[in-house]
Amino acid sequence: MLCEWTDHKVFGVKDGAILFGVDQGTLFFIDQQTQDVLTRWSRETTLELDDVPQADREILDDLRDARFLAPFGARHRLQAFDGDIASIPLTTMVLEVAQDCNLACTYCYAEGGSYGRPLRLLDPETARQAVRKLINDSGDTETVTLVIFGGEPLLNMPAVEAAVTEAQALSLETGKKVFVSLTTNGTLLDQDIVDFVHSNRIAVAVSLDGPADLHDANRSDVNGFGSYATITRNLEGLLKGATSAVAARVTLKPDQWQRIEEVFFHLLELGFHEVGIAPVSPVRLELLPDAEQEEALLQGFAVLSRAFLAAARQNRLLPFTNLIDLLARLHLGQTKAVSCGAGYGYLAVDTEGGLFVCHRLVGEESFRVGTLDTGADPAEIRRALDEVTCGRQEMCRSCWARTLCCGGCHYENHLRENLLGLAPGGSCDFIRRWFQLGIEVYAELRRSGAEEFLQRLEKRVKC
Amino acid sequence: MDKKKRIEALNEKARAIEALTHGEDRSVAALDEGGLLKMPVGCTTIYDTGWETNPRASNPVGMCQPMSHDYLGCAGDCWWPAQNPDGLTNYLDLELTCSSIIRDWRDIK
Repeated sequence: MLCEWTDHKVFGVKDGAILFGVDQGTLFFIDQQTQDVLTRWSRETTLELDDVPQADREILDDLRDARFLAPFGARHRLQAFDGDIASIPLTTMVLEVAQDCNLACTYCYAEGGSYGRPLRLLDPETARQAVRKLINDSGDTETVTLVIFGGEPLLNMPAVEAAVTEAQALSLETGKKVFVSLTTNGTLLDQDIVDFVHSNRIAVAVSLDGPADLHDANRSDVNGFGSYATITRNLEGLLKGATSAVAARVTLKPDQWQRIEEVFFHLLELGFHEVGIAPVSPVRLELLPDAEQEEALLQGFAVLSRAFLAAARQNRLLPFTNLIDLLARLHLGQTKAVSCGAGYGYLAVDTEGGLFVCHRLVGEESFRVGTLDTGADPAEIRRALDEVTCGRQEMCRSCWARTLCCGGCHYENHLRENLLGLAPGGSCDFIRRWFQLGIEVYAELRRSGAEEFLQRLEKRVKC
Repeated sequence: MDKKKRIEALNEKARAIEALTHGEDRSVAALDEGGLLKMPVGCTTIYDTGWETNPRASNPVGMCQPMSHDYLGCAGDCWWPAQNPDGLTNYLDLELTCSSIIRDWRDIK
């Protein structure tokens, strides 16, 4: 049988190798002998199995069974999504309840929370309208997500309360579950707000960047006073009697990346249930990392990954969000035909009821796709996404990580390529190395027999 | 070496594909009643094989395919005229009386 190789990537580990099937999202462990045969024969583009010597043939048959060899011309290649956008139900709505902020973070992509426009607050009635739209356009989806975002959303509690109350009423009426999350800087959390959050089971993400010196260097108010002390004081009440997970959302600048381990464990000690770490978006050119800083970031993630493995051996889940999300996807073998849900069931609404493909692109006029009154126009969504995805598929064609990444974050790409004029692909190397780290951690977990542990991860992404 | 040791499915997708392949193997095995000799199905250029060879383990023993196959084995573009019921002139209702040749061959008169 004439066969051709399907796209794959080999990662050497100590007693063999991990074999990743790019289009299938499969992960296999192969021994040294299989790896040798694979290396020897994968130099050929096509392969006549009947002509292969018997010793290699058996191994190649196994690889064919595992879909690394396909009958010539029948190779399945995952294509980017090109379907009918209008048919996709709405599952997540992000409300920019306040395009205003009481902090002046040095790296803010929302230009001080205002998204480049005069400061505005979302009208409670518009908030209710947005929630109604989420429910009405959600089709058969049983669980939808309402994200309360800003700016600093707690500057506009009337709209927050209106949205949450409307969500509850509609949830009772329709039987749909509405998962509500709130991202806040944590400075305005008083007892009333904490009670509201607890009684409504709102999942809160607090932007806290680490120990006081580091956090305050990033996140101070307009007068230059750091916010660490206020936030940690407020945090106590939020964590006490929490009814939903409280996560720390960390943003670090390149010169802080060597402190990742310290930041992570500091936040765990403060009592957060989860910690997710994001390298800052290069909103200004000086926030672009150099090679050494990028290495420090990966090393930091590698250290946390080793800590994660050590905890897993004792059946404990170290709540390092970045890794948990990646492992859960690798476990199921999820592949992507779009890089994220932006525009595909995920929309953000600004304070005037304008719809944008995602929360990070709010205020960027070319990503405006409709209004709450008219709804999102599928043609506009396609046009907006094309602006950041056109030609990318071609670029990603030969990348082994394409089905895990699918082109990356639209906002990051827009920022780097359209606004800063950088060449595409600047973060690809980092992304690939991060995925590789995740794959190695996953293989180690699986091979050490952590079945039950992995099933716990599964619940995070199964839909 | 044991196949399991040589290539081991790690994630759920890999396991699913392994299970699928196993299922395919079973389907192929079920179809492959000819055993090791793997006789071709249908005509040779001279005559239907079957009476002469004996690779078949199940009934009817001694044939590569049911002998009833011979009744239709010479249809279509096969030139061998001997045993093919003549549906054009003498047995116009062959399709009705003998809709399944394996089951109904005794009805051919």
